[in-house]
Amino acid sequence: MHKSIKKVAVLGASGTVGSLTGGILAQENLQVYFLSRTFNGAEKGLAKAIAQARSEIISKNIICGDYNQHLKKALKDADWVIEAVAENLEIKRELYKRIEKFLKPDTIISSTTSSLPLDALAQGRTELFRKNFLSTHFYNPPGKMLACEIAATDRTEPHLFDFMKNFLKTKLHREVIPVKNIAGFAGNRVAFLLFSKITELVTEYGAEMTDYLIGPYTGRLMPPLATLDLVGLDIHKAIIQNLNANTSDELHKGFILPGYINKMIDNGLLGNKTKAGFYKKLEGERLSYYDPHSGQYTPAVKPHIGFVEHAKNLIHLGMYQQAFDVIKTATGREAEIVRDILCTYISYAYNRIGEVTDHQMGIEGIDKVMSAGYHWAPPSLIVNLLGGKNEVVKMLQQKGLKVPEKFYSTKKPILQLLNSGKYFVAR
Amino acid sequence: MRKDKVYILGGYQTDFARNWARENKHISAMMREAYEGASYFTKIEPAQIDAAFIANLAAELFCTQAHLNSFVIDFNPAFSSLPTCRFEAACASGSVAALAAIAYIQAEIYDLILLIGVEQMKTVDPAKGGDFLGTAAWYEKECAGIKFPFPKLFGKLGDEYDKRFGLDDKYLAKIAEINYKNARKNPNAQTRNWFMNLEHANTLGDYNTPVSGRIKVTDCSQITDGAVGIFLASEKFTQEYAKRQNINIDKIPAMLGWGHTTASIEFAKKVADSADSKYVLPVTRKAILEAFKSANIKDCWQLDVIETHDCFTTSEYMAIDHFGLTEPGQSYKAIEQGVIEINGKLPINPSGGLIGCGHPVGATGTRQLLDAYKQVTQTAGDYQVPGAKKAATLNIGGTATTNVCFIVGTK
Repeated sequence: MHKSIKKVAVLGASGTVGSLTGGILAQENLQVYFLSRTFNGAEKGLAKAIAQARSEIISKNIICGDYNQHLKKALKDADWVIEAVAENLEIKRELYKRIEKFLKPDTIISSTTSSLPLDALAQGRTELFRKNFLSTHFYNPPGKMLACEIAATDRTEPHLFDFMKNFLKTKLHREVIPVKNIAGFAGNRVAFLLFSKITELVTEYGAEMTDYLIGPYTGRLMPPLATLDLVGLDIHKAIIQNLNANTSDELHKGFILPGYINKMIDNGLLGNKTKAGFYKKLEGERLSYYDPHSGQYTPAVKPHIGFVEHAKNLIHLGMYQQAFDVIKTATGREAEIVRDILCTYISYAYNRIGEVTDHQMGIEGIDKVMSAGYHWAPPSLIVNLLGGKNEVVKMLQQKGLKVPEKFYSTKKPILQLLNSGKYFVAR
Repeated sequence: MRKDKVYILGGYQTDFARNWARENKHISAMMREAYEGASYFTKIEPAQIDAAFIANLAAELFCTQAHLNSFVIDFNPAFSSLPTCRFEAACASGSVAALAAIAYIQAEIYDLILLIGVEQMKTVDPAKGGDFLGTAAWYEKECAGIKFPFPKLFGKLGDEYDKRFGLDDKYLAKIAEINYKNARKNPNAQTRNWFMNLEHANTLGDYNTPVSGRIKVTDCSQITDGAVGIFLASEKFTQEYAKRQNINIDKIPAMLGWGHTTASIEFAKKVADSADSKYVLPVTRKAILEAFKSANIKDCWQLDVIETHDCFTTSEYMAIDHFGLTEPGQSYKAIEQGVIEINGKLPINPSGGLIGCGHPVGATGTRQLLDAYKQVTQTAGDYQVPGAKKAATLNIGGTATTNVCFIVGTK
């Protein structure tokens, strides 16, 4: 029976996920061991946690250490071990094997992965380990993105799942989304299907036009290709391959990697971390975009399409419904593309209910993860803005997309509209 | 003076954590959301509204846009030719707009007034914003060439307390900590997800740096984008409204009383003028006493909750003794005894106040009134003071130059 969490060990505390998640725990006055391969790495993580909290005071709750010298000491009292090491099955399994002997019988072990199969990760571990094992998938940066998906295996003690849901919500102030143990959980499953579809558009329309059409005015903080530059194209590839291998649904063929992305990866164009991906800054902060045909970068031309500019102007004035009326009724190929993406988002998200989240949650779980994890307008909001269920069914049918069996009504649609302006950026 | 009651029918606050410049939104988008939200929560139809008053300090500077009241006309076709105007009294803009609305209603000119307080401040960097805010003091004398004039001036308020009575800064840190803690419970508060604890508020560091004099970063309110819409109504309108909405009129909060005073704009002169007073800011004290008198309240202990103007921890420290929670100069006692905490004898700023909830200057007075409304109608959610029936607001403009205190309550 798990009663309380006071001491936590973070494995992989040099990385962004480990350090910032550990930092959140330290902010809540939990005692946190930051463990990394090297002491120096853990200290780098501590610096990130301090910068996130904007306070050195939290360092009083953090002890840095390395796996060789401090593992035993850190784990013997740990109530919770958070594993946030590289997304590599073998590395994680090796580490689990190494830590197992130091754990208390009731130490909770959670991985921050959302893509590697939990059962495979825990393979070879004791029954006790497996009872205490689950996934807590924090979104980045956890100081701003409050979503946390939680998933258990068949062997996880049921009480532990409920205990952690409550702990994450009340102690760590997370928006907790209980998800099924399936690759990508809810957030990455939906988002990366969309990303995949959007990367396909680049071949025909170019990167600049694609990000212009599916830009922040359609209900996201950042343009999608700029988001992928932030994620890293190598990571994007790994996620797409994983979703392709481990999921099956009506749009499964959508999890593809266009050839040009493989070329970009081969040429080291991974995104922000290599200072070149879909975007590359030229002198004087001018932008250029990757051309999938030539493999070169071409300077920005700043597209200007009537209905896009009209919708942006309306969003600038806070007239979100009117902006969506424009998107809904605009004519031309570009408008169809925008509606394709929005309709795919709705169809794919609603059709995942029951598969990635419980039926009884309705659309709430997916709504929550898309808004609190990605800062995308939640699918139910897009349904409302496109005119509600009946209108959307017609649009999905017209586009040959699977109509969900049920459109779960949102509890407070008008309230949701009032608070939803933040998802629509007039850019 | 007419004594017809003026009621507050509810309203809406935007999420103060948002950055509307980053969203590339016009200031009128914020006003529109405040109106639409207020209208949704109160079920007021646009055609019922007789006039719209806008409170704002400095949209000319922050947004290169004056004449904000005119934007209301485009919010709904029913607003065509609606009388509108804008009010400014620095950080007390929202409260003076409410005073004007009360006067119009009591003069039987209008029955229902939409009041929107608004400020968009994240359009410029903090230094430039600080300079713009300097226009709320005597700019030429007190602010020109000073990087953050207001922290300096409110640091001096702390210095004056120190000189007259003694002041340990640990009490200021406690005020900051309480406001941040309360803000965590407020879903619209700017700092609801920020880290804060007493030790952080008490410690200078790379992040909690000195701003000016004894004022540190944690002693300051926030630079905030926000708007708040509320409806003020005549007794006649409220009776019909209550009937139509099937609400007991006794449950609808009324503006039970108010006080409004103005001191010399120059801070040094205020302090010199108060040399013979028990209070550091007697003109502020006068506004509070006027409000008590007009609301037929004997003292602060007949209140259940206060929303005060904590633009800096020193201004809340001042409010504690000026409201009469302690003898002058002894505010520390109320802090030490937990009186002002959310479960204390007289909670101050359960919303998080200007430090925790945020301080979009022109919207603050209306935000305080909306929070007073929420408290006395038991609709404040997680930051509800249980059973609150009477709430006071204190909204000050400049360095406690314009002072407005309202008492809001139900039967």
